[in-house]
Amino acid sequence: MNAKYLILIAGLVLAAALVAGCTTQTAQPAALKLGVVSSMTGPASTTGRDMWQSAQLAADEINAKGGVFVKSLGNNVTIALVQGDDESTREGGQKVVTKMIADDKVDALIGGFSSAVVTAHQSAVAENGVPYIITGASSPTITRRTDINTSTMFHHCPTTDDYGAKTIQFVDEIMRPAINAKFGRPADQPLRMAVIYQDSPYGKGVLSAVNDTIAKNGLPIDIVASESYKMGETDFRAILTSVKAKNPDVVYPAAFLNEQVPMMTQARRDVGLNTIFLAVECNDDADYYKGLGQYGDYSIIESRFSPYTVPKGPISANVEKYQKDYAAKFNTSPGMMGAATYEGVYVAAAAAQQAGSTGRAALVTALGSVQVPEMIESMENGTISFENTFRESKSNLYMEQLHWDPATQTLRPKIVWPAALKETEFQIPDWYRPGSV
Amino acid sequence: MAIDVGTLLQILFWGLYAGCIYILLATGVNLIFGVMKTVNFAHGELLMIGAYVTWTLFSLTGLNPYLLLVATVPVLLLFGIAVQRLAFRPVLGSHKLNEIFLSIGLIYLFQNGAAMIWGSDYQSIQSPFASMAVTIGSFRLPLDYVIIIAVTIGILVGLQLLLRRTRLGLALRATSQNRKAAMLSGINVERMDMIAFGLGAALAGAAGTLWVVSGQVFDPYMGSVPAVKAFAIVILGGLGSIPGAIIGGLFYGVAESAATYTLGGAWKDAISFIVLIVVLVIRPTGLFGERGE
Amino acid sequence: MDLDRFRPYLTWIALAVALLVPAFASGSLYLLTTASIALVFMIYSEAWNFLAASGQGSLGHAAFFGLGAYASALTASRFGLPPVLTVLFGGLFAAGIGLLIGLTCVRLKEWFLAMVTFGFAIIIQTLMVSQFAGISGGWDGTAAPALVPSSVPFAPYVQYYLILAVLIGVLLAFRALLRGRIGLAFAAIRENEVEARASGIDPVRYRLFAFGLSACVAGIAGALEIHQFGYVTPEVFGTDISFWPIIYSISGGLGTLAGPLVGTVAVTVLWEGLRGIGLTYARFVIVGLLLILTVIFLPNGLVSLPGRIRAWRRRREGEGD
Repeated sequence: MNAKYLILIAGLVLAAALVAGCTTQTAQPAALKLGVVSSMTGPASTTGRDMWQSAQLAADEINAKGGVFVKSLGNNVTIALVQGDDESTREGGQKVVTKMIADDKVDALIGGFSSAVVTAHQSAVAENGVPYIITGASSPTITRRTDINTSTMFHHCPTTDDYGAKTIQFVDEIMRPAINAKFGRPADQPLRMAVIYQDSPYGKGVLSAVNDTIAKNGLPIDIVASESYKMGETDFRAILTSVKAKNPDVVYPAAFLNEQVPMMTQARRDVGLNTIFLAVECNDDADYYKGLGQYGDYSIIESRFSPYTVPKGPISANVEKYQKDYAAKFNTSPGMMGAATYEGVYVAAAAAQQAGSTGRAALVTALGSVQVPEMIESMENGTISFENTFRESKSNLYMEQLHWDPATQTLRPKIVWPAALKETEFQIPDWYRPGSV
Repeated sequence: MAIDVGTLLQILFWGLYAGCIYILLATGVNLIFGVMKTVNFAHGELLMIGAYVTWTLFSLTGLNPYLLLVATVPVLLLFGIAVQRLAFRPVLGSHKLNEIFLSIGLIYLFQNGAAMIWGSDYQSIQSPFASMAVTIGSFRLPLDYVIIIAVTIGILVGLQLLLRRTRLGLALRATSQNRKAAMLSGINVERMDMIAFGLGAALAGAAGTLWVVSGQVFDPYMGSVPAVKAFAIVILGGLGSIPGAIIGGLFYGVAESAATYTLGGAWKDAISFIVLIVVLVIRPTGLFGERGE
Repeated sequence: MDLDRFRPYLTWIALAVALLVPAFASGSLYLLTTASIALVFMIYSEAWNFLAASGQGSLGHAAFFGLGAYASALTASRFGLPPVLTVLFGGLFAAGIGLLIGLTCVRLKEWFLAMVTFGFAIIIQTLMVSQFAGISGGWDGTAAPALVPSSVPFAPYVQYYLILAVLIGVLLAFRALLRGRIGLAFAAIRENEVEARASGIDPVRYRLFAFGLSACVAGIAGALEIHQFGYVTPEVFGTDISFWPIIYSISGGLGTLAGPLVGTVAVTVLWEGLRGIGLTYARFVIVGLLLILTVIFLPNGLVSLPGRIRAWRRRREGEGD
């Protein structure tokens, strides 16, 4: 009996070796080859799948229209995607990125989610001068590294700096005056804000953006508490009890979905912290609304792509079409990182057309000056383009307020800021208790 | 940092609730160790499987999730027996390190098996009592937590009755105290191993149901942190000591809260280990542990 | 087919294959990268396995892997020293901390030790992102200069051979130690500590030595890895980094020099092969199953497989007669 298992083990190893040996490259016709760095395995795989699927959708759409015209080749080429599973680890990312660069000979890379994973394969990208449109990692350090040449890397998604800055701007412009007016406080009374942040580059990045924005603009916002917690935490009652004792007017968690949902539920249900919660954009996902239920009523979330609302204006038709096509193709609703990756494929195609070439260096140059009209996310000046210093695109983040509908038992968002996109006004619920009157 | 008495009591109550999960896990670990002298590092994955079993049954039947405890516990009992029979028994009596390595294999197997079956997305459900609360003095205690604490006490009392008042319990305790003597007096110790492991898994399954019912989110990787805490509690409280597990569990709740206040939330996990290491340096068998194994 | 005839040449065959990998890899940077990472993990697994040879199973070796990585990256980037030198400093630094941790660990047994080592990895990670964030860069991490600057011709190949040379050095050192007095003492302590003590062996001293040396080599491995990646973040202290050397060593053969090498090659090939056929979670399930089956049915790992098969065939033939 033992021998059978021995043979089984040996067989497994051998079979795998054969498979590994047999993966050969088949000759490809002329194409714009894009490597999609996404986590198909591991903790980040939900986001990773979304990124990969949205890239497929974009490539299919472009190819259905006949591909991209590339002048140096004299005709249209199709988009060929290469899937690069970084396994949500640094080692996995390093292996798959060198594979895509050296073996698959991709013309450009798109994707990259966790900042830790991205930093571990950036030097391979830099050494080979490969254009890389980063559509997932939120740390601004990614394109600010000085130890390697990051000039081929373009950051097409808001950074933690953007999250904090926009949210504080909204709090100062809308929430502070509204709260002061409602409770008869002097107009210049500072707002008391508590920050609860994940102990990670993401959480700390948001915290420092909050502090920097307040200090830089001299805003009347007092940070009365900043509490950290460990990634993946599910029990926030002790933290929330201590936050409640500091009497905040508003609470800003820099958390992931699996943390923010229990945090807000515990705050409203268990601790009786009857205040308005803010949320970072990456939480704007169907699961967020489902998980929060009635406890999300009147809370605020920052966003650039929402499953349940479409910003008014030029992009609304695009967003609706994208959501419909994505649902039809993959039988699930699209997420935010996927939206940026979808645009990333289009941006790469536009760069190839502008460059008239699929060469890496030509693509890098073209990406530096490319102007793509905004697609499914609202962008500053209505175009996707990368500024020259740190090669970041700037999106128009907006704020949504969530409302619970007892009749349908659903929680749904409405855009309340900025003025150009808003659907309705910001409201303060009756149960809201300010920190001090 | 001034905290009023009300706040302090409230935090203690949260600790008590969180402690329930830990205590159920730690009691299971202790029971298994007592009888088999084996440590299953994949114990947290049994918690996770318990949570998913409850969730699956809830999705299928729509019954009150508290009732599903009756279904989840037997499922995990059988699962535990199977794991013991197929994985742990073959290495029993070989080098102790083998059990640790085996557990690591089980962690990979269970976590990713669960991700294949149920997907890796977060899941959560809401208890039918989610919006109800009990008011005691100035406190508003959510009804769910009161029920959870009551259920945990009920399970622990039931376990004590099983161990103290039944023939099976006598046999389990005899095996735990002296395996050879138990064998000589006609107890089938291999069966006791399976039952102890099954009971440990069942306790973890109950903890999984309570986790789900309290509205906490869960995913295939949720088990490792609570399990690590449970092990730390067991070591602190002493192997084989059930009162030690309860006191250890409560102590940990306080230590974690204190660390969160003074050092910051990042220290919440690390503090468990600092306490553990300090204790082991002073007393290598834990605070309440018997000398030797 | 008698494998025994090849046995004396196996070492040389393995060496020849290792030297020739870059030739096979010509044109495939992926293969070379995978092989280089595998070499680093061989060094790391050898370090873990050396500690296991003294009867101590660590669940937190990422602590030393990461400390070596940080110490080397920080000295290289702050003082502009060449990484080839700072890698050694990384090893020494990890050894220093390893000895301190070892002092608390050497009196603990089995799973107490497992928990404490596991805990140290978490404590060190926490320190790195909180109290020492000013030096380490906190969660943002810190840059690590390339092991072999890209200005050097054929840098990836030079890097591969450099890591291979370190591996061979580590193997020779461990072989000399395990074949000598220390190896005998380890075996005595592992089998029966009381008897070992009676025959005049001080288990604490030998255990501590194993801890320090294992930490040193693990630190060197960590430093080699991050200079290859160019950046280090606190994720190097992660649980998966602690578990891989265990998987490699156990599947290859616990307590043998060849074990971690065979295990790393087998599991890496399996891992990459399963990726090739598009499996995701199933890969982890298969690796988990492989580990379980090895512990149960092949406790001495893949290196004992030929012997087991021979024994099994002899038994079959015996039955046939």
